[in-house]
This record gives sequence, C-alpha cells and structure tokens, in this order.
Amino acid sequence: MVSMQSRFVDHTLKNGLRLVIEIMPHVQSAAAGFLVRTGARDEEPRLAGVSHFLEHMCFKGTPKRNWHQITIDFDNMGSTYNAYTSKERTFYFGWVRVEDLEKQVELLADMMRSTIPPEEFDMEKKVILEEIAMSADQIDRCVYDLLHERLYAGHPLAWPVLGTTESIARLTRDELHGYFLERYHPANMVLIFAGNVDPDDTIRMAERICGDWEARAARPGRAAPPRLTPGAHSRVVSRFKQQAIALCYPAPSAVDPDREAADVLAAILGGHNSRFFWNIIQEGTAPHVAAGRLDYCDAAMMIAFGFCEPDRADELLAAMRSEMKKIADDGVTDDEVQRVKNRTRTGLTTEAEAPYYRLMQLVQDIDALHRPRDVAERLAAIDAVTPAAIKAYMQKWPITGEGCLTSLGPRHWPENAVSTGL
Amino acid sequence: MMTETYTQLRLDCGAEFAALPMPGRRTATYEIRVLAGMAHEPESLGGLARIVEETITKGTEQRSAQELTDAFDALGANVGSGVGRESMVFRCSCLPEYVDHALGLHAEMLRTPSFPQEYCEVALDLAQQELTSLEDDPGELARRLISPFAYGARLGRHELGTRESLARIQRDEIVGYWRDNFASARLQIVVGGAIDVHKVASRVDQLFSAFGGSDGRQAPLTPDFSPGRRHHAKELEQQHILICWPGVPMTHADHPVERIMLGVLGEGMSSRLFAEVREKQGLVYWVGAWDEHPRTSGRVFLGASTTPARCDQTYKTLLREVDRLAEDLTVEEVERTKIGIIAKTQTHGDITRARVGELGSDLFFYGRPVPVAEKNARLAAVTVADVRRYLNDHPRDPLCVQTLGPRALEDAA
Repeated sequence: MVSMQSRFVDHTLKNGLRLVIEIMPHVQSAAAGFLVRTGARDEEPRLAGVSHFLEHMCFKGTPKRNWHQITIDFDNMGSTYNAYTSKERTFYFGWVRVEDLEKQVELLADMMRSTIPPEEFDMEKKVILEEIAMSADQIDRCVYDLLHERLYAGHPLAWPVLGTTESIARLTRDELHGYFLERYHPANMVLIFAGNVDPDDTIRMAERICGDWEARAARPGRAAPPRLTPGAHSRVVSRFKQQAIALCYPAPSAVDPDREAADVLAAILGGHNSRFFWNIIQEGTAPHVAAGRLDYCDAAMMIAFGFCEPDRADELLAAMRSEMKKIADDGVTDDEVQRVKNRTRTGLTTEAEAPYYRLMQLVQDIDALHRPRDVAERLAAIDAVTPAAIKAYMQKWPITGEGCLTSLGPRHWPENAVSTGL
Repeated sequence: MMTETYTQLRLDCGAEFAALPMPGRRTATYEIRVLAGMAHEPESLGGLARIVEETITKGTEQRSAQELTDAFDALGANVGSGVGRESMVFRCSCLPEYVDHALGLHAEMLRTPSFPQEYCEVALDLAQQELTSLEDDPGELARRLISPFAYGARLGRHELGTRESLARIQRDEIVGYWRDNFASARLQIVVGGAIDVHKVASRVDQLFSAFGGSDGRQAPLTPDFSPGRRHHAKELEQQHILICWPGVPMTHADHPVERIMLGVLGEGMSSRLFAEVREKQGLVYWVGAWDEHPRTSGRVFLGASTTPARCDQTYKTLLREVDRLAEDLTVEEVERTKIGIIAKTQTHGDITRARVGELGSDLFFYGRPVPVAEKNARLAAVTVADVRRYLNDHPRDPLCVQTLGPRALEDAA
C-alpha cells in the first residue's frame, strides 16, 4: 500500500509570491493554480460582482496574448482548466500532463498580468448578464443568494458573487482595472502545485516566470460579520414549482478547531445514510433534504435544507426540527460516527490519486488555514471526532431553537416571515 | 503511458467480465451493469426501471434497508447507481481489501432483493415529487422534451416516467421487472485498480452462479427520429435551445471523426461555438456540442441558453457554425482537438474510477476492452478531409429542435 503521507515544499519568492508544492510521485499528471485572495466580500457595494467579472476578463487578453490565443494555448496542451470566484477568493487552474506544466504555469501567470482589454469589456458584460439570468432560473442558486442576503444583511458576505444586473450594467472598465491593480500582486496571491513534479525545478520555473512581479501591499483586512440573528425570511418567486427551505444556525468557521465535529454531525444528520435520509426522505416527505456547513474565514452556518411540494413546507420544517432536536437531546452513536470515518477514508484515498482533486483541496486549506494539509492529517482530524465531542459541540453550537429560516418559492411561507422582494 | 493489461472472460455463471489491474493504485472500483433499462419497461409503465434501481437497495432476504446500507458503510464503500436507456449500472469504489466483501453485498442485493411494500410506495411518491422538481430544472426539462423525438417513444423515455405511468406501478410490477431482467447472463462486470484479477473473477463467478434465466441476449433497439421544431412555453429568464440530428454508433468507423468534429465545435474555450457564440457575440454563458449513444446508434446535439430576445440569433449562429465547418476547417483545429482528447486520457487516467468507467463503457458498446492507445491511434489518424467527408455523409438536416422558455423561435432557417 502506498503511503497517504505527502511531501510539501513551501517557498516564498523575493517579491513575496508564495509557492506551495505537493509532490505526488505516483501520478503521471500535474495541476497548478493561482489563488488570489479576493472575492465578493472584499468588494465595495458599488462594485458588487467585480471579482467575478475580473475572473472572466483575465481570460480576455494579456500583453502577450489576445483572448483567442489564450484559449488556443490552453487547448493545445489538452489542459483541464477553468477559474472560479467565491465570497472569499478567486482561483485560476489547469491540470495537464507533467511535461506541459511549465507551459501551463506560464499561461496562467500571463493571465495574472491581464491588460483588461477595453475592447472586450462590453462583450464580456453581456456574457455575465446571461450568467446572472441563468442563475435566476436555478432555485438552489436563488435560495443560496437569499439566505446570504438576509442572514448577513449589511455585511459584504451578503452580496452575490455574480453581482446584480444593475451593478454589472453600471460597472466601468476603469473601475474593474483599478480593482485588478489593487488585488492581483504577490502579497495577495499563492501559486499552488500538485503532481509528479521536482520541487527545485518548480521553484526555478516560478522564479523565472513570476520573479519580476512588483511587490505591493496586501488587500485591506476583513471585518467579521455579525452573529446570525434568529428570524424568518420569505421570498415569493412564482415561476418555481417547489418551495426551498433553509434552516440555519451559527457554526464554527473554516479555521475553528470545532469544524471537524461540525462536519461529522452534518454528515450524520443530513448526508448519505443519514437521519434525514431515513426519517424524512424515506418517509416520503420530500425528495431532496440535506445538511451541511457553509464556512468562511471568520463565520459559518450549519444549514438544514430541502426542496418540497409547496403545500408540504410545514411538514418538512417540522421533520427537520424534530430530527435536530432528537440528535441534540440524545447525541449520536458510535456506529454513526464510525460510518462517517469509513467513508471519509475511502474518499480521501481517492482524492490522493489525482492532482486535480488535491489542488482543489489545497486551495481551501491554504486560503483558510494558511498551510497545506495532506490526506493523512485530514483523516486524523476526522478520526479524532467522538460521540462525546459531538455532544460537546452541540452545547457550544446549538442546532435547536428558532434559528434563521429562509424560504423561497411560489408561497409566502411561513406566514410570520418577513417578506423580501427581488 | 504505462502498458495496460486487460483481462476479458465469459464466466461460467454467464456474466461478461473484464478487468484492468493498475499497480500502485490505492483504491479499487467495480461496476455491475445489468442489460436492462428504461427501454425494457412495459410501454404503459414509464419510470419503472428507475423505481427498480431505487428500491432494489432497500433490503434483501437477509437484511433490512438500513442494515444493507450500513453494511456498505462499514466497508467505507462509495456506492452509487444509475439507470439508462438500455442498462442499469451499480458502482462501488473502496479500499482494495474490501472488494470481495462489497461484491458479496452487491450480489446479495441484486439476487435476493425484498422490495418492501412501504419502500415501493415511498419511491413512487418521491418520483411524483421529482416530477415537480424537474419543472425547476430547465436544462433537464429540455432534454426530457426532446428525447421522444430524437430517439423515438421507446429509447426516448425519461427516467421519471409520467404522473400517469407512475400511478399505474405497483410492487408486483417492480418485482416482475426484476425477475424478467436480472440474471447473470445479462450482467457485465468490470473491475480495476489495486486488484488480483483472477481472485476477483473467481469471486464474481461464484457470487452470480445460477442467477436467473439463461436468456441473456436482447435484440438491439433501433431508435426513431422525428424531425421538426417544437416549443414548450414556460416562464423563465432564459430560453433553452436543443438541436439534434442522427450521428454514428460508437462502433462505426467514423466515430473518431465525429468526436473530432464535435471537439472542434464545442470542446474547450477555443472551440468554434464557445468562440463565436459566447466570446465574439456575447449571446450566452453556456453553449455546448456533444454526442449521445444508445448501444447501436448515435445522436449529435447542440445546446445553448440565452435571454429570449437573443434566441433567434443564437439559433442561427449555432447552425451557421456547423455549416462553416465544411467550408474552412483547419488542420490546426483538428490537431488541437486530438491533443485535447489524448492528453485528457493521461490526466484523467490518474483516477481509478474514471478508468473503470471507461472499461465498462467499452464492454457495453464494443464487447471488449479497448486499450487507450488503440482509441488514441484512431483519433490521431483523423484528417481535415475525413471531417469534411463525414459532414457530407451525415448532413445535419433534417433537424429535431426543441426550445423551452417564454417564446418560440421565429422563422429561423
């Protein structure tokens, strides 16, 4: 059996650009990506959506390439590539054969020096407005945006990653370029590698490609959001046929040591082979019911959520509350915890097979914890969770009581909810 | 790339078996394919195959539903299943030391399901609710709408059936479908990763011996195709467009040519549809081109979603890009597409379950494992002239077009 231990190399270039390399000698591919520590929560309200718009524009032109050449160069390597923007970060990545890694990094690095070509700005704005329209037809995206809008009202975490039709329509190229200059520089970025790579060669490559980037100050710090306040919010969207329900409670952040206990609890409550599955879905109450934790660097929520026939919303909410009360009163069993550990072991072993999977995990760990974790460390953290630890967790982070309820669908529900328009 | 050593056997129990040992891997994956799917449902019982796939996991003669699920979880087995037009697949990924045990659980589940009445009723009730969920998933709803016209009534069924067909299904029909279709002679089992091939083959043979009848062969199903333009009105922010025409089967000599043609059209951001429809005209966020394959036939699809006022322009641009392929396709585009597909066989080949999934697909379509090198050699041989000939031999017209959203297409050519 190959060991699950990985070897990391952590190195910082003279200009402040940090490199993190995970060496995976058993694979034939390599993945690399630039983490940029900026996302929707780092935007001013008038620039809502600028981080995501910028992510699109980085594919549109550099000093060396126009948009078509960027895409041709990615595809000429057969790269599996893309980028995403979240509340807290933007990540650009590619997964290639080992022999193409240097070309891949050179291309990604070139995009990080984007010219934000003015002639492409208006066209890309149309694409983003289409993306916003597509998102508006997806009930899960709508309820995700609504619960952030209401639960973090007044705080930047409330703003949608895509921005709004209005904020995108009025955004100018100069505003976007100014934001780019502020955020895309070594102090605010990490270059991450995973794969069958030689660390010394990789460092030399990064030095050659990125070593002349100008060092500037990191982006401003973030203010923590207020703790969630109980209450109910409802938005009527008549074109949807289902009612989406999300019941939220405060939870440990991405850096809090209680996070593993929270995740094991969420899996027992609303994951595969969970209490929600057997006692709500398999009772025929609703086809889609689950639980999970949405975490940020300084806040998080434990969410129980489901999609149901609108006239069964009361029944679904009562069932979710009942299961959460039972687990809070009686705790979880050794068998339930062990099952989560067993599945985690297989999942992490699978993750360790592919540089792409590892890269996606590394970016989360490095962004939140500022250090990489190998699969062995992550497995050990889950292995340390016990039923007693989960009991203690629920005393510290209750999952009962009124909570923050968000509902979206054809009904204004529940009746006492604050109605929120579009 | 490492040399791959495949094993293919017709086991004494009647099942087809193929294996790919991958030294150095830390996991193992297997797939059990039952050669029965939606097309094998009685005509009036649409949705039955999926209900069988769902309820067969709800207990056996020896275990309750939860005991069976717990038994897989005790192994840390990552299990899943899916139902298709002509087959149903049960998958498992786990640590290598648990393969024997997991296979035993799957055999028990497939051979001795108890189909408890209460779980059958719940599965049917949930399927009715899933039909409501489908209304909030415009992409999937558009695919459901076009399928009967793209494939005909039998191969074009949707896994959820209809409210009426679901209402006709009782436990007896569920048990009947299982009894008629589940037999070792209708199984294809593939396994890969950190495995001992002969040990696994022997275990599978033993587990599925004397299972079901001996009639394993089924006549190939031929799809129908009903060209025409159809619209389904629905209040949405975006209009969905699907365009379909007949392609070639997976086993056809021109299949690699079709793959390259579709790659040039829709694979990667440098592809023609992405470049023209999204990057140059800003008409869409999502646009794509892909193929789908019943066992002995093929269909080509184009798809996009856009706001209603831009729907006609998007539709015309999609078709124009297909036509333009025959006029000005370049060697560079063909070579780039080849590199893209071949490189991904190496990067994605690092994932054990991806390789085993491909092996299962090979057995289903080709009747044998097809080495990656063989597939790549066929792709590498495709030329610009081949694509032009393909486009001439397989013209896009007549088309089957489905739109979903606030308004129908105008009289676009």
